[in-house]
Parts: sequence; C-alpha cells; structure tokens
Amino acid sequence: MKLKLHEENNVLIIEIKGKMMGGPEANDFHEALKTEIGKGFKKFILDLREVDWMNSSGLGMLIGGLTTIKNAGGELKLSSVTEKIHSLFVITKLVTIFESYDSMEKALESYR
Amino acid sequence: MPLKKIGELKVNSQPASLAEVDRFTEKLIRKMPFPNEAQDDVAISISEAVNNAIMHGNRQDPQKQVLIRFYSCSQYLRIVVQDHGLGFTPNRVPDPRKEENLLKASGRGMLIMRHLMDRVVFRVVKMGMQVILEKRFPGGLPT
Repeated sequence: MKLKLHEENNVLIIEIKGKMMGGPEANDFHEALKTEIGKGFKKFILDLREVDWMNSSGLGMLIGGLTTIKNAGGELKLSSVTEKIHSLFVITKLVTIFESYDSMEKALESYR
Repeated sequence: MPLKKIGELKVNSQPASLAEVDRFTEKLIRKMPFPNEAQDDVAISISEAVNNAIMHGNRQDPQKQVLIRFYSCSQYLRIVVQDHGLGFTPNRVPDPRKEENLLKASGRGMLIMRHLMDRVVFRVVKMGMQVILEKRFPGGLPT
C-alpha cells in the first residue's frame, strides 16, 4: 500500500494505492493522519480509486482514521470507491458511517 | 472428485507475514481458471483467515507458525489455514453489523470470508484451529 498526500482548497487529499491489508502499513497511515491533523487540517478526502483490494484490516484502518479525524473536530470523506470495495461496505453496513462520493470533484464540491 | 495438493506455506505469527502469504497466493492462483474478481476474493479471504490465525489463534507467539495448504480438483480450490490456538465458537463472535459494533476496528473477517467464498468451515483439530475455504472454478481444469 502506498500513500500520496496533497492539499487542494484547504482539503487534505490522501491517495491510496495497492492492497489495504492492515499490518504495519496501518501504522504508517495513522501516523500520516496525525501529522496532518497536527498541521491544522480538518477536512480530509481518501481517494480509493487505485486500491486493488481491501480486507477487514483495511476497513479497520479506515474506521480508525475516521475516529481519529472526528475526535480532532475534522471530517473524512471517501472518493472514487470501486464497485468491489463498495460491496464490502454494503455487507459490513459501513456504508452507513462513511460519506462517499463517485469522484474527487464531487467530494471536493461537498466541502465548499 | 480427487483433491490434489498444489502448494503449502508456513509463516511466522507476525502481521508482517501477511505480505509473504499474499505474494505466495497471488502466484499460485494466477494459474487457476478464476476471473480477476474471484482471484481477489480468494486472496482477501486467505488474508482474513491468516490474520485471525496470527492474531487470535497463535496470539503472535514467535514459537508458533501458521500453516496454509492449497488443494484443487477440477471443480474448486480449497485452502486450509491452521494455527495452534484453542479455537473459538463462530456463533459467539459478535455481529459486526450491529449498531454498537459498527465503529469497532476489527471483527469483520468471518463475515467477509463467508461473503466472498463458496464454503467456509471452522473446525477445532488436535493441533489447533482450522479454517477451510473453498471457491468453485467457473469451469474447466486448472492449467
């Protein structure tokens, strides 16, 4: 799993690429989030367009991220969730807790 | 339908082993007559079973390993994941879809395996706990 971070209109966008299977990589994700929260970011978008697949540890990583950001008074939204990952959100009922958008444009628009 | 053993891997009980299991799985199932989506289903399910074996079965004990065996016949792929833990009762695992469990970071592995595979069996054996995963081929023999 690789992370690429950039800022647009005061929104921190995190592109995730590869397989989200938890393990040591989950720590890297949480450290990156904490660093960006420390810099003052409150609005986050996770771009999942290039995620190959995700298991329950990957889902746990997203939930941990959501909790961390909310506890810091921020918001987390998802962008470009693939059909396969969306089906995992549906069976686990996580669709009810994540705000998700078809495209980055729509996710950014939701913050305006 | 005779099952033939087509691969075996033993890994240490540490989260970093998941990447090793994934590389091994990817190489092996690439030869199977699965569409790409079904290959992902198998890889995700194996990662769930191995993760449970490492974290809950062997409790990351460096003295204990997780054994993953692959079998196939003309109709399906079977994977057997075995740890050295005491086992558990699947029906007693809390439902992660319940409101009070939705924000918990773990506890969804069994649900996901059951959704992605055609057959999932949990059984306690002499040496520990076994998870048996099966996925049917859409048709034809593995090459």
